[in-house]
Amino acid sequence: MALYLSPDGGVLLCNKKTESVLGLKQAEIIGKHWLELLFKDKSKAINKNMFKAVMDECTTYKREKDFVCQINQRLISWSINPVLDKNSQVEAVALFGQDITAIKERESSIKNIDDSLKNIFSGIKEYALYVINLDGNITYLGMGAETMFGWSKKEIIFKHAGLLHNITTEYPDLEFILKQVRLLGRYETETELITKNREVIPVILTVNQFLDAGGNLSGYVFIAKDITERRKLEFQIFQSEKLAALGQLSAGMAHEINNPLFVISGRLEMLKDENCNQKVKTSLDLISSQTDRIRKLVDRILKFSRKAAPVLEMLDINEVIETVLPLIHYNKLPSAKIEVKKSFEKNMPKIKGDQHQLQEVFLNLLTNAYQSMPDGGVIKVTTANFQNLYAQIQIIDTGIGIPTHHLKNIFMPFFSTKNEGIGLGLSICHNIIKNHNGFIELASQVNQGSTFTIKLPFV
Amino acid sequence: MLYKILVVDDEAPVRDLFDELLKKENCQTVSCASGEAALEIIKKENFDVVLLDIKLPGMSGLEVLKNIREINIKLPVVMITGFGFDEDLIAKTKQFGCSGYIGKNMPVAQIITTFKQFVKNSKEKG
Repeated sequence: MALYLSPDGGVLLCNKKTESVLGLKQAEIIGKHWLELLFKDKSKAINKNMFKAVMDECTTYKREKDFVCQINQRLISWSINPVLDKNSQVEAVALFGQDITAIKERESSIKNIDDSLKNIFSGIKEYALYVINLDGNITYLGMGAETMFGWSKKEIIFKHAGLLHNITTEYPDLEFILKQVRLLGRYETETELITKNREVIPVILTVNQFLDAGGNLSGYVFIAKDITERRKLEFQIFQSEKLAALGQLSAGMAHEINNPLFVISGRLEMLKDENCNQKVKTSLDLISSQTDRIRKLVDRILKFSRKAAPVLEMLDINEVIETVLPLIHYNKLPSAKIEVKKSFEKNMPKIKGDQHQLQEVFLNLLTNAYQSMPDGGVIKVTTANFQNLYAQIQIIDTGIGIPTHHLKNIFMPFFSTKNEGIGLGLSICHNIIKNHNGFIELASQVNQGSTFTIKLPFV
Repeated sequence: MLYKILVVDDEAPVRDLFDELLKKENCQTVSCASGEAALEIIKKENFDVVLLDIKLPGMSGLEVLKNIREINIKLPVVMITGFGFDEDLIAKTKQFGCSGYIGKNMPVAQIITTFKQFVKNSKEKG
């Protein structure tokens, strides 16, 4: 649209497009004041000022935002252009209008897509996107990256990407990754990234070339997928497999030990009936008691390795725990006062399980809790319905806790942080819970206490 | 003589131990090292009870038990096991009328008592 105005704002001329948009004949348009014609409804004052500015300063005025009018549902963006005479005085004003209806519609639909993408991405917690330039500095921190790394855009933009990469890992380092991307165009690897709080996140990292308009390499696009959960699962499987293999080995060994042990203890019993002097008798008794010790150890190992299928029956897990609670008092108790607090889910669905095996698990865990509190404390035993899928049992103590570096070994056979016992209790628990298709986890902090969480599936 | 017993175990020291222990209990023993040999002996001689190792080279203890049942359906057989009391194994041998179990991990005195009890029970039944 184009209109030609006199310095006082009256329309002198207009083109055909103006006629069609306004729905008026040229004769009806000419002579009218432009503001009356185009800005009937709003912001006359502002536009008047613009017009005045154009007249005074002889400059083109084009500010889309301020200078858009709606005519018959079309959005028109205007520019005011002074037409100068020989003396550089404003002789007239040319008004050019551009129909921006379609552009605006497109912009708003793009914004909608943008918004929904933002929503989609902010809902995805395990992905992070960031871009670095050729110097390795971070130039863009995308969706999820702030959440994953704990850095805000402000803090980390233009810092080196090395900040996010764990240099102590055995996985490929940043330099190697970038080299591969330059060679192959794209590289994917498992690695570890670091958060602002120096926490290590295992990720699958996909790195692509970032090309400028001319097709030249101008940086690298990183997409990191958090695989913490997967790692956890893998570790559990690995742990189970390792335990199973150890179980087999132990069973084989125990069996081999049993035969000679049987012969030794049998012969010993026979010798005891013989007449011999006191010195020999004392020695025989000692050998006998030590042999007995070996037999008990082998028994314990056999118990650990035995893959006894649970004898399943419908159980109320609260009742199972109740039967065990009185028993812990028979254990060697520290003299300090220990309080047991119960909090049971009243409407717990039943589970299918082996009562004796589960009793053994709870007895073991409660005994551990007791022994971890030489100075007294509180044991909390709770049961809860976990998402209608599992009966969740927690045994929480306020004891000495277990150092982080021991946590990963805690279910391994023969691993013990205590002086007494041979370190099979928890691996037996692990086996039993696994045979029940359940899960057992330990969270612990030194001097804060330990929490065992067991989940057993409902039927 | 209280009972006549066949001892089947591939390890000589174990066989000898049973021999001596049972002799002291006034039992007569015959022993052999394999299931195949045991079956041959059972065909020729009568026994009050068989002490049978579950883990034998060649024919396994369980297979020997099955074969004994074909020869003599009533002969009491007590399994000797180094695996303690394995539930799976118990279920399997029970199907073939095994009278009881003695674990090599049991104290000797207990083994003898348990053994005597088994034989007594099966005699009473028989």
